[in-house]
Amino acid sequence: MKNIIKLTDLHKIYEGGTHALKGVNLEVKEGEFLILLGLSGSGKSTLLRCMNRLIEPTSGEIEIDEENVITAKGKRLRKIRRHIGMIFQQFNLLKNLSALTNVLSGKLGYVSLWHSVTFSMHKNDVAIAMSNLQRVGLEQFAKNKARNLSGGQQQRVAIARALMQNPRVIFADEPVASLDPATADSVMRYLGELNKNDNITILCSLHFLSLARKYGTRVVALKDGNIVFDGTPKEIDEQKFKDIYGEDAEEVEIR
Amino acid sequence: MKKKNRTLEFIQAIATDLLFWIYIFGCLYYLMHKWTGFTAKLTFIGIAALLATIIFQLIRGSIGVKLFLSSGKPKRSVLKSLWGYLILLSLVVTFVVGLNIVEVDFYKFFTKFQNAGGIASGIFDPSVTGYSLSAESINELEKDDLPPDVINTLKGIQNRKYSTRKVFLNDLQKRLGESTLQEYKSTILKSAEKNTKLLNIALSALAETIFLALLATVFAIPFAFVLSFFAARNLMPRTWLGNIVYLVIRTIATIFRSIEAIVWAIIFSVWVGIGPFAGMLALMVHSVAALTKLYSEQIENIDTGPVEAIKATGASTLQTWIYAVIPQIVSPFLAFTIYRWDINVRMATIVGFVGGGGIGLLLLQQQQLLRWHNVGLLIWLIAFVVWVMDMVSARVREKLIGI
Repeated sequence: MKNIIKLTDLHKIYEGGTHALKGVNLEVKEGEFLILLGLSGSGKSTLLRCMNRLIEPTSGEIEIDEENVITAKGKRLRKIRRHIGMIFQQFNLLKNLSALTNVLSGKLGYVSLWHSVTFSMHKNDVAIAMSNLQRVGLEQFAKNKARNLSGGQQQRVAIARALMQNPRVIFADEPVASLDPATADSVMRYLGELNKNDNITILCSLHFLSLARKYGTRVVALKDGNIVFDGTPKEIDEQKFKDIYGEDAEEVEIR
Repeated sequence: MKKKNRTLEFIQAIATDLLFWIYIFGCLYYLMHKWTGFTAKLTFIGIAALLATIIFQLIRGSIGVKLFLSSGKPKRSVLKSLWGYLILLSLVVTFVVGLNIVEVDFYKFFTKFQNAGGIASGIFDPSVTGYSLSAESINELEKDDLPPDVINTLKGIQNRKYSTRKVFLNDLQKRLGESTLQEYKSTILKSAEKNTKLLNIALSALAETIFLALLATVFAIPFAFVLSFFAARNLMPRTWLGNIVYLVIRTIATIFRSIEAIVWAIIFSVWVGIGPFAGMLALMVHSVAALTKLYSEQIENIDTGPVEAIKATGASTLQTWIYAVIPQIVSPFLAFTIYRWDINVRMATIVGFVGGGGIGLLLLQQQQLLRWHNVGLLIWLIAFVVWVMDMVSARVREKLIGI
């Protein structure tokens, strides 16, 4: 299997002087479900956002799907971004727009400026958006405003929005951190399904080891901007867990 | 390096003290001059201030020392809190000078109320529809050479209100007799009718005011809308061009906003002539500046999450603004716009006073003619409209924000 993501010596130093990433080297193979572990502030979010340049990395190389992300500008950067779906902890939907419009906004990288100015989406795109809503089981909520949906439903709309992009990769930044355990599992199940059926590579940061074991094919752990573990979920024993989360940490089981 | 800082601190301390004493002695001189007619050359104030500065620097008890020379300790502990007393002194002096400059006169306030009797009676007894003879119109009739006994009879029904022409004429017939009434009927009716026309004029002037406020708001929206995006810190890139655009728009908006609408009205009434158009332009300029500020602050307060999400889909900057920014700001923008219309209706009255047309102009005319009952009517009308606008806009805003 070929590499879809290749990071070389990636650094990010914030304006205030925080050194969030200290030379990350990472290769991700196509079709992997990679779980990012690590404490809050360990650099998980920074890493995910550097990879599609929502945050500008300070130095290093990023290659996604054989495209050099670092040197990309303007139109080329947007072309790279439109193949990378992104899912956020706070769902980041437009709360007073309908679920359908939110899903359609995933297509913005493809449509002309004129079509987006007039909010007139192609009929074909609407059909695709509806089928994507159906995939996450929300077709009956298409006309509902996002703010009237529950947290789990909002996250599923966000997944449908990412699907709209025809993504090769999905970055999920703590997608279940604001959801209850049962809903969290269902959201992860949808992600797992995309990974298996559509062969979408997924990088997902998490805090729950149980979910990591259930859905992940590989686990990478960050600590203070460095990779401290890289292996299969099964390899994480108690000692490894304490290496990642510190000596005082106890694994919390959610079931 | 350290020595340089000491020098700077010393200069700052001296300058502060000098300004402080120039102010104190200036105020004292003003009061002495006002009360006793005492005059002196202004250089004496300077010299006195300089002396005071030197003395207070030497005993190290001044405000400048407290502010800038933290290391310098007063020679005696009594002087430690001297700076506090100096500030108290300056506050007292400022207050006394203020009372003098504003010509505060409580005696006048409590004893001269009868001067406002005309306007007070106008407010409590405004001229309304129907037929009535005001003191002014009876005076006019007197000038029209009506016989004194008729005038006296008319004075007996001064300000009495009749709902219809028929009731009015019936009462006149009883008081004057059929033949006298027929003789002077048309003259009296003319005067009486003149008075009743006011409500119609007032209502049309009121409509003028409301519509000029509305147009000023509507015309201000597109300008403010476009400008606000460039005046929003979170949308402007932090490049030199972005910073310049942001600063220029913000500065101009602030300057235009700090010039009152009434000043703009003076400018525009010279430019396009007295009338509602001048008033509209004045309110519009002020509204553009005010709305730009309100709008851009609203943009700065949006949830950045959706912006990030839309950007991540590969959308261009403009697409991101359209899909992630605008949906978040539509309802607060509408709320602010309605609020602005509400403010503009209130300001339109004032703007009318200096040539902006509408009910303000009418009010000014009636006030200058000393027709206090008409002024009373206009004041009630304005109050009513402002009250309704205020209530409606509050309701609508509540609904919009609460979506």
